[in-house]
Amino acid sequence: MTAGIQSHASVKQWTAGSGLQHDPAEVREDKLRILAAFCAKVDKEPDELVAFCILRKKATGERFLSVKRRETINDWLKEFAAEQGWAGKQAVVNANVVRSFLIHNGVLIQGPVWRG
Amino acid sequence: MEFKQVVGNRRTIRFFDPNRPVEEEKIQVMLEAANRASRAVNADFAKAIVCYRDELSDEVREQMKTPTATVQIDLAPVTIFWYGDTSFVNGAQGRLKELVDLGALPVTHGWTHAFVDDLVYPQVLEPLSKDQLATVWAVSVETGLAIAQAMLAGIDEGLGVGLHAFNAAGVKDVLKVPDHWVPMWILLVGYPAEDAKGGGQRPRRALSDCFYRGQYGTSWTEIPEVTERLKREGMIQDPMPADATQRMAEIKQLADRFGLPL
Repeated sequence: MTAGIQSHASVKQWTAGSGLQHDPAEVREDKLRILAAFCAKVDKEPDELVAFCILRKKATGERFLSVKRRETINDWLKEFAAEQGWAGKQAVVNANVVRSFLIHNGVLIQGPVWRG
Repeated sequence: MEFKQVVGNRRTIRFFDPNRPVEEEKIQVMLEAANRASRAVNADFAKAIVCYRDELSDEVREQMKTPTATVQIDLAPVTIFWYGDTSFVNGAQGRLKELVDLGALPVTHGWTHAFVDDLVYPQVLEPLSKDQLATVWAVSVETGLAIAQAMLAGIDEGLGVGLHAFNAAGVKDVLKVPDHWVPMWILLVGYPAEDAKGGGQRPRRALSDCFYRGQYGTSWTEIPEVTERLKREGMIQDPMPADATQRMAEIKQLADRFGLPL
């Protein structure tokens, strides 16, 4: 399931930037599986997911990070966590795997914090 | 704590202990420090709304969040929303004349009721208040002074603080902010979950890069003995080391604790 997504430039950037390649194989596979499952849920390839967060100003063509698009991602992540049956810290940590992927591709996105 | 140590100890704290309450007494100290700040025409430029995270409903807290300011708001037990009041000119004549009567604005320097009524108000303050750019400039500078004092008072009370931008439009209705208040910053307050010294002071350029004597281009020359004294007294502290291994290990530990992305 995860082999396909590793070829995407955005996934390579995440892997290199986050040090994912140095994680134990099991941890790495888990994280890639979460990203792949999220991409399948929203019907986007990883590179498309990054592109989804970046829009261009109509007047100047300048690229900018869309607040609304990132709010949409956060809404999708909330749904995704519920669908996966995650709760408590697991829900926070696993949703943040996807946010980590986006962050290492230049998308500043924050979500809930585990305060337990 | 000694003043120089307070100045030297200030960092922007980004990891707060979310479950350690902040005493109202300490917030009051911060607000009073802001209230004592220098201010033109003795006006109340700085306005603030103190929000205790756990007193807000989930709905209100969600409205405060943006994709760029969720972690901080979740972690900090207290958020102080700072605004600048553009109606500062209201009552300015009366306040200035009060200062004249008290001798704070002395006649030796030309201050009289007539000067306030005939010149300062009609020729300076009233036109300034009608110039939007000048008003925002004045309000921003004056509010900044108050915020700085509040931050330093927080450090003196053993708290961590951090200033951030915020989505003013998103919270305006929730906080019932008047239209004549201009949003400034949010000041997050709590006990640091990270090393309060943040691994060292942030990089700063030499005084000679920013400060001049007599005219621009003639850089201020540091007096080495003073620099050394400020190191001893805590205003100048060791900078963050170039080898960030220890800081990165701390960030990993905090990320594990709070479930944050790495």
